[in-house]
Amino acid sequence: MDGRAPSMRMALTVNGGPVEAVIEPRELLLDFLRDRLGLTGAKRSCDVQVCGACTVLLDGQAVSACCTLAYEARGREVTTIEGLAADGHLHPLQEAFIEHAAVQCGFCTPGMILTAATLLHDVPAPTAEQAKDYLKGTLCRCTGYWKIIEAVVDAGRRTRETRE
Amino acid sequence: MSALRPAGGTAPVRPGVVGTSMRRVDALEKVTGAARFTGDMVVPGMLHGRVLRSPLPHARIARLEVTAAERMPGVRAVLTGADLLGAGFAGTDPYYGHAIKDRPIVAIDRVRFAGEPVAAVAADDPAAADEALLAIRVEYEELPAVTTVQAAMAAGAPPLHEGPLRPGLFHGLGELRREEGNVCYHYRFTRGDLDRVFTEADVVVEGEYTFPAVYQYAMEPHTVIAQWGADGLTVWACCQHPYLVRAELADVFRLPLPAVRIIVPYIGGGFGSKSYTKMEPITAALARKAGRPVLIANRIDEAMVTTRRHNMTATMRTAATRDGRVVARQCRIWLDTGAYADNGPRVAATAGDAAPGPYRWRAVNVDAWAVYTNTPPAGSYRAFGATHMQWIGEAQIDALARKVGLDPLEFRQRNLLRPGEEVRPGGQPLDADLVGDVTKVAAAIGWGGPKPPLVGRGVSVGLLAAGAHPVSTAAIRLQADGTAVLLVGTSELGQGARTVFTQIVAEELALPPDRIRVMGADTQFTPYDRSTGASRSTTLAGGAVQHAAVNLREQLLDIAASVWGLPRASLAVRDGAVWHETERLSYPDLLKRHFGMIGGELIGRGEVRPQHGTGSYAEGPVFWEVCVGGAEVELDPQTGQIRVRRLASVADVGKAINPQLVEAQEEGACLQGLGNALFEEMLFEDGHLINGSLLEYRVPTTADLPDEFRSILVENADGPGPYGAKGVGEGALAAVPAAIVNALADLGIDMRQLPLTPERVWRRARELGLAREVVS
Amino acid sequence: MLRPFEIHEPATVAEASRLLARHGDDATVYAGGTELIPVLKDGLAHYRHLVNIKTVPGLDAIAAVGDDLRIGALATHRMIERSPVVRAHAPVLAQVAAGVANLRVRNVGTLGGNLCFAEPHSDPAAVLITQGATLVLARSDAERRVNADGFFVGILQTVRMPDEVLVRIEVPALRPGAGAAYARFALHERPTAGVAAVVVLDGDAVTAARVAVGSVGPVPARVPEAEEALVGRRPDPEVLREAAGRAGGAVEVLEDLYGSVDYKRHIVTVLASHALDEAVARARGRGH
Repeated sequence: MDGRAPSMRMALTVNGGPVEAVIEPRELLLDFLRDRLGLTGAKRSCDVQVCGACTVLLDGQAVSACCTLAYEARGREVTTIEGLAADGHLHPLQEAFIEHAAVQCGFCTPGMILTAATLLHDVPAPTAEQAKDYLKGTLCRCTGYWKIIEAVVDAGRRTRETRE
Repeated sequence: MSALRPAGGTAPVRPGVVGTSMRRVDALEKVTGAARFTGDMVVPGMLHGRVLRSPLPHARIARLEVTAAERMPGVRAVLTGADLLGAGFAGTDPYYGHAIKDRPIVAIDRVRFAGEPVAAVAADDPAAADEALLAIRVEYEELPAVTTVQAAMAAGAPPLHEGPLRPGLFHGLGELRREEGNVCYHYRFTRGDLDRVFTEADVVVEGEYTFPAVYQYAMEPHTVIAQWGADGLTVWACCQHPYLVRAELADVFRLPLPAVRIIVPYIGGGFGSKSYTKMEPITAALARKAGRPVLIANRIDEAMVTTRRHNMTATMRTAATRDGRVVARQCRIWLDTGAYADNGPRVAATAGDAAPGPYRWRAVNVDAWAVYTNTPPAGSYRAFGATHMQWIGEAQIDALARKVGLDPLEFRQRNLLRPGEEVRPGGQPLDADLVGDVTKVAAAIGWGGPKPPLVGRGVSVGLLAAGAHPVSTAAIRLQADGTAVLLVGTSELGQGARTVFTQIVAEELALPPDRIRVMGADTQFTPYDRSTGASRSTTLAGGAVQHAAVNLREQLLDIAASVWGLPRASLAVRDGAVWHETERLSYPDLLKRHFGMIGGELIGRGEVRPQHGTGSYAEGPVFWEVCVGGAEVELDPQTGQIRVRRLASVADVGKAINPQLVEAQEEGACLQGLGNALFEEMLFEDGHLINGSLLEYRVPTTADLPDEFRSILVENADGPGPYGAKGVGEGALAAVPAAIVNALADLGIDMRQLPLTPERVWRRARELGLAREVVS
Repeated sequence: MLRPFEIHEPATVAEASRLLARHGDDATVYAGGTELIPVLKDGLAHYRHLVNIKTVPGLDAIAAVGDDLRIGALATHRMIERSPVVRAHAPVLAQVAAGVANLRVRNVGTLGGNLCFAEPHSDPAAVLITQGATLVLARSDAERRVNADGFFVGILQTVRMPDEVLVRIEVPALRPGAGAAYARFALHERPTAGVAAVVVLDGDAVTAARVAVGSVGPVPARVPEAEEALVGRRPDPEVLREAAGRAGGAVEVLEDLYGSVDYKRHIVTVLASHALDEAVARARGRGH
């Protein structure tokens, strides 16, 4: 049995909407999202899965899109930063990042917020220590992280208050 | 009172926006992923460029064959050095370099570092370009490589640059001469009778020190799009200094200045790595050859061989009297500037000036050399010069204090310069209260209190010549609906310049911030701002912005005075209108009166320029940025790891226009300083970078955060910028490594090499007999 | 830069194995991709056929069979970290899985992929070696069992044949009176050194001990000199320290940018001491 031809048809969901595309097996998810779908929020930085600037969510899990084949998204749900705000309302993390000046150059911000979103999903109101530990694999060169941690803890607290 | 402050004008009457932690004007775009960086842009017809880089540190290019590459599918053009000398580039100067024009756009007959561009391919997509690179045939004749300063300066070393030296457009370096022994630039000064003062001193400390090459790691790598058209050359680039790059490109391609347009989208971190000209010439040249727009984006390993921090060795000796007065310091500094000058001369001068530190000397003698080697070129990185020298000078201050039996804090309080004292002859006197600053920082880390075992504390004080060159202009266009558009050529690197400028305009024009738009730097529209760096934007560009706002306010007041027939002095601006007691004319009303219709616009202009002389580096600086820090560390003697418990820094900013953004700058600088101090190091083997990846080049993560960091805000209104402001953003970076080194010295471990890796600390502690072994 | 390739989607291990055999050097197993994709991007290797074994059902199953643990080769580090079964039967494995690389890698990287890639600077292998794990390799219809400590033969080299697929890792239950621990030292994305220890106590005597060191040499390896210094003796501090010193002295160490030889030996000694202390404490806690 032969493997896939050099191009393949793929259907997936991106930010809640259906997408169909013809891709090459070697196409990277990051380039697919940025160049084909115009979702440029995910960035290419280290290109070796270390920095997290390319982070997107695949079925709710954070992955490094720079080292993930687009093929892996077939039949699955991709969430990028552009899909985080729901019905015109910013996600609490986005609000908190603005309020706490947890953004400087903004290049790490999409990946940082998406990763923090998965933390809040697992641990609804994390402490600063939990947030630091969870985010230790996501780099920022501008902020020194303090305001990012404050924003994450604050967003977690607010999310929990909203639920209660 | 500095003449850079606005003169005259009626003070606004409204609750202040200046001095509040207003939300960043660009935050919404950035948290939603809407913010565009250069690599996010698509220009119709754009090709993708990739660069072939030399695998050898020093070689002659014997043969370069690109025909096979040119024929590959999707390939539209291949650029080589031969093109630059050919008819297609007639009139083009193939060399650039803002200080010294020593850098070919693409290697012409010779490569001088491993990583130097040898050819560039433009193709329909990156994969096609990468395939084409593999098809380029290059034959090199290896030349002896000098990959250390020592080798480069040794007798018989091959000269890396020969022939007459061509100065660049940079100013304030003094006379540039072709020096012997691969010296790119030599900066020196001497004051007093050094030998006599040393002989008469009671105590002397001396040492040799080593500082690593460090990578700035702006998370966005260098990215450039270049497009030629009937009007000339348009470049989208992550440029910190679009006007300097414009001047350079105009010079290289022999174009009038307006025929080169530089557009700067948001920049994903600069830190000096995007200062001056980097990837713009090669992208522009490739676009010209291809006849289509071209995008080139460095990978991170390419960015690492595009620019880096200078590695350095230095010797220093410092003398004092037994009653605790410093008297003399001598220092010799060798900076490895790599294969091309880039900003090496300025870095050498700044390091030389940082070497004495802010103390009162009877004699001081400094020599600083920037030396060419066959390694990737070194340039600007945040707090250069000060970061290089402060840990050395301050270590010797601590050592002297201990020798004479004085507490290191008290020793500094006795010897630091006071405000108004001369830092260097003829230049800007000290404009900060350093004794106050260091005392506060010491208190913040618990100085004098009980210390658990294996915990040490250190402080450090330094100065950084800030402001670069004081030339900035700005314009504000007040529209018929009362919205103001601010045009200023500052790059938004993440520091928050657009936000701070919005606050200044809001303050001076009594407009709500959401009625003010700040355009990104675009040399076609935003007027000249010399550069974004050296902590100068709030102070200098902000000064021009303030002038422009005041200028506009005066026009509005004049119109209102004319409409009402009242003297201007009886009028005030408030809430987007001019008021006389209870009568008001809104800005839209004023414009309508002025132009007789709903339309037209008023333009305010502002300018900052040198107040005396030429504003050169030697005559300045514009202000002294303080580099004051304190550290409390805990040593793990088993591994040599240092855990930073407390860090403190001082933001001595005159006036914090946005306190939250000041703190944000401090926090970021602090952590970069921590990285520089503890683990950041580019490793070279015979000129080859062996850790050119984030897997092996370690930058700080949340796991490295100290338990506590305090940035102490000091506002003494003693700066030349708006409201007495002066810049911030670099001081903490220089101060942190010095404070950590001194904290280790407090434990009896004196370190002479950065970074303070666990292995180095462990080894030094063992040499000193201090480590407690687990097993014998 | 990634050069073109096809992705094959076998439905069974046998089919995967046949594909690997057919395409030889042009084919490779493709699982999480966290090691493979970077290698392909760098151009360090090129394969025209990626055999995606994630399409074979059941290879990620984690189950206890009696007290023994069976971990499917495609179990991700994240799954292992969070699995109640792993936490109950081999908690040190769960601890180590939680520390691999970063959370994005842990979400998709597999234990099988980690072991087969055999990057020296890595954690899980040393733990598996001390716990006497068995790696099960399959080719067509046949299975082959290899002890973990015989699996690694060199830098990026294992005994797996090109057409074999690692399908599961079997970890026997710790004996009564056994305690396991792992200590690591990391300054970069990958660890500098790691020491795994399993100590079995019967009353006041060590009846068995396994000490394995990873990341400092070309392969993760047991250090018999350290183990011999423990067996038959009381687990007193001086005994443990001596054994730790033997581990640091005897292990094969390569110098690289993670550290020089003498520093790494020292760190191994420090880590071994911590691991042995903890293993003994846990052994005591489990009775006898």
